[in-house]
Parts: sequence; C-alpha cells; structure tokens
Amino acid sequence: MSYSTFNRKQFDSTKEPMFFGENVNVARYDQQKHPIFEKLIEKQLSFFWRPEEVDLSTDRKDFQRLEAHEQHIFLSNLKYQTLLDSVQGRSPNVALLPIVSLPELETWIETWSFSETIHSRSYTHIIRNIVNDPTKIFDDIVTNEEITKRADSVSIYYDRLIEMVNIYNTMGMGTFDIPGKGSIEISMPKLKKALYLTIASVNVLEAIRFYVSFACSFAFAERTLMEGNAKIIKLIARDEALHLTGTQHMLNLMASGKDDPEMAIIAAECQDEVRQIFIEAAEQEKEWATYLFKDGSMIGLNAQILGQYVEYITNVRMQTVGLDAHFATKHNPIPWINAWLVSDNVQVAPQEAEISSYLVGQTDNSLDDSDFDDFDL
Amino acid sequence: MTSISKTATSDKAEQVHRVLLGKKQILVTEDEPLLVQLEQAGIHVEYQCREGYCSSCSIKLLWGNVSYPFEPLAWVQSGYLLACCAIVKSDIEIAFFD
Ligand code: FES
Ligand SMILES: [Fe+2]
Ligand SMILES: [Fe+2]
Repeated sequence: MSYSTFNRKQFDSTKEPMFFGENVNVARYDQQKHPIFEKLIEKQLSFFWRPEEVDLSTDRKDFQRLEAHEQHIFLSNLKYQTLLDSVQGRSPNVALLPIVSLPELETWIETWSFSETIHSRSYTHIIRNIVNDPTKIFDDIVTNEEITKRADSVSIYYDRLIEMVNIYNTMGMGTFDIPGKGSIEISMPKLKKALYLTIASVNVLEAIRFYVSFACSFAFAERTLMEGNAKIIKLIARDEALHLTGTQHMLNLMASGKDDPEMAIIAAECQDEVRQIFIEAAEQEKEWATYLFKDGSMIGLNAQILGQYVEYITNVRMQTVGLDAHFATKHNPIPWINAWLVSDNVQVAPQEAEISSYLVGQTDNSLDDSDFDDFDL
Repeated sequence: MTSISKTATSDKAEQVHRVLLGKKQILVTEDEPLLVQLEQAGIHVEYQCREGYCSSCSIKLLWGNVSYPFEPLAWVQSGYLLACCAIVKSDIEIAFFD
C-alpha cells in the first residue's frame, strides 16, 4: 500500500483508527473522531512565541562569570536540549504523517512538530548570545560521545518505525531481506507494535528527558543567573506540557481499545517492554547527570539530587500512562522547579511565591556546594 | 467538627467537604479547585500548568466525587483526579503514590 497525498477513496474518516487506516484526504475539522487533538491544536496556537522576543543581554555576562565546571553543565545541557528538539522538529512528521488516518490528528502532529522548530531556533538564539563561536557547540553535538549515546536512544524507535513503514509502502506485507539489515517481517501487528513503542519512547523523551534538562536550566535561574535562558525554557516547558499530553492521549486511546481494538491487544502485549523503555531512559538520564556534574556540582543541584528527580518524574509519568511507579523516590527533591515550570499567565498562590523567594535567599546566603553533597532526602 | 459548623454559619451556601490524605484531614470548599486548598493547608502537590493540560497534578482518588468546571485537556486516568481544576463535591480520600 503506497502513500497518497490525496486519497481518492470515499470513506468516513471518523470510523478510521488514528493510524494505519485509510490515508487522509480532505483536511476537514467539522467532524472529529477525537476532538482532543483539535483542542490541543488550538491551545498550541495560542502559545505561539518567538525566541527573539526574549532579551538575553545579561546572560552573556552571567555566562562569562560562571566557573568552568558550571559552563560545562550549562553548555552540555543546552547541547542535549538542542539534540532533543532536532529530533522532535522532524520525527513526528517523518514517522507519523505517512500512517495517520484522522485529519485532526494529522494537523496536531504538524502543529506539534512546528512548535519544536521554534525551540530549535531558540537554542541558536541562546548560543549566539553567550559565545562567540556557535559552531564549536553545534559541532560537538554530533561528535561528543555522551551526546551521541543520547541520540541513539532517542531516535532508535522512530528510525525502526520509519524503516518498517518504508518497506510496507513499497513492498507491502511479508518477510524481506534488506541488505545490511537481514530479514525484516512486515505485518500489521508488527507495524502497530513498532508504532506503540515509538509513541511510548516519544512520551519518555518529552515527559522525562526534557524535564531533567529543565531542572538544570532552572537551577541557574534559582541563583538569578542565566535568567533570559530560563525565560525561554519556561516557554519551551509550556509547549512540552502540551506535547506530552498529546502522546499520553495517543497511548491511552490505543491501550483502551476505543480507537482500534487490535491496538489494545498489542498495547497489553508490550506493557513490559514499555515499562522497560521508561526505566532504561531513567537510568540513562541518571548516567547523564553524572556526566554533567563530573567536574563539580552547582549550588542547589548535584548528580544525586538530579538522579532523584529523574526517579520521581519517571514515577509521575509512568502513573499517567497507567503503569505502576517503579522507583522508591516518592517526593520531588527539587520542589522549587514547579514555580519555574508554571506559565507566567497563571497566578500562583501567594504563599508559594513567598516560599520560593525565601528559598532563593537561603540558598544564596548560607549554602555552598559542600552543603549539598550529603544532602539526604 | 467545630470548623465545619463555623464555616457553615459564616456562609450558608458554602459546602465544606473533608479530604482524607493518609492520616491527615483537610477541609475544603467548592469555591476553588483542590490544588489551591491543599497548598493553603501546607501540602506540597506537584503542578505545572495549573489549567488542566499537563497532568502533573494527577492524584489518586480512592473514593468520593469531584467535578470539573471545564473538561481538562490532560488525560485523567480512571481512579485519579487533576488537583488544579477538580472541585471537590463530597468527602473524598486521596493518595499520592502507592
Ligand atoms: S497542573 Fe497541569 S493539569 Fe494540573
Ligand atoms: Fe521541544
Ligand atoms: Fe515537544
């Protein structure tokens, strides 16, 4: 079955599954199978922002005053974020558009991916502002071993799905010998499984990996450093909250069988594999935390605390997609992150704001790195 | 339950419900979402958007009723509530993690 940019068949798209049904034809939104995706589109459009609107002039001075190991933390974190959004700015389009069957979901995927390109452009804005030679930083993303390890784990499921869909679109079903890859079996259950695991790994990317990086960005801002950067990350975090809700809806709709009964069977069959995707990603993020802080911690954040946050946020996200929490950490070790994650247009209870400013003062005045080394939570 | 009767006399229209959380008991009204009232009681709840689209504030609802003034964009698992936008409608029991 090859892809058509305008399917000539006449059919009722509200009877199609989200994926692997008919190719979409008319982009119409007057009738929707899953109105949630139309609502996500509207919300995402209302969030539109441009990186250039955020002034970064003080960040340059801040950056120059950071200690070397703090510059390493800041830049590595930024490189990781750049990698993640490079993947997200294209992969939902490349992997999911050829197989989507609902117009509202197709447009959500495009809207989602477009907002990721704003994130990517904002990293260029940030990097240009803090260093004289952005090339060094961008080049390192494809050569630095720690970063390329991350690239492998965030792209593997996407790449496998894309490869299988390519074969399916050109050859149809069957078992095929692919030069250099060996034999690959293409069947509808195999395709759907590859899709389900991909969506799970995207949820992990956006709902866990990104939040670990947000924690690092906001740890600087807690010390009133790199605040322009934090403003941008706040806007990115607002978008990511919507994206992760989108993938959670896809996963839960698939698992419920309400969308496609066959998908529910597949979801049940790969529950253990999905659990493993969450757990492995958490372990990788903890390893990454060790790399970030290899030359020294910063006030308020070290590898141990960040590791605990990884475990905590993984538990939260697992629960949201109907999996049991895996890690023992039941409390957020960096509760101050929420005050940064919240959007500016939302009023936070006044006592909350007071608490966080009190904590900022406390951190600046009385704590140094060593106070956090044996921080026990 | 003096606090219940006290609140009830000050404003007859105001409905007060008990929220059980482990060994704690918090009194809440229907005027504001649960999240704000838990925070006022000094309980830390995870949150991000505070408008129902991120699911960070998802909490287990063991029993009792809540309602949403508008349908949240975030997926609400059965047996869970979204604290940032849920209005408590009866006595309820909640829990964070197993
Ligand atoms: S804080 Fe985002 S859904 Fe409640
Ligand atoms: Fe992004
Ligand atoms: Fe995203």
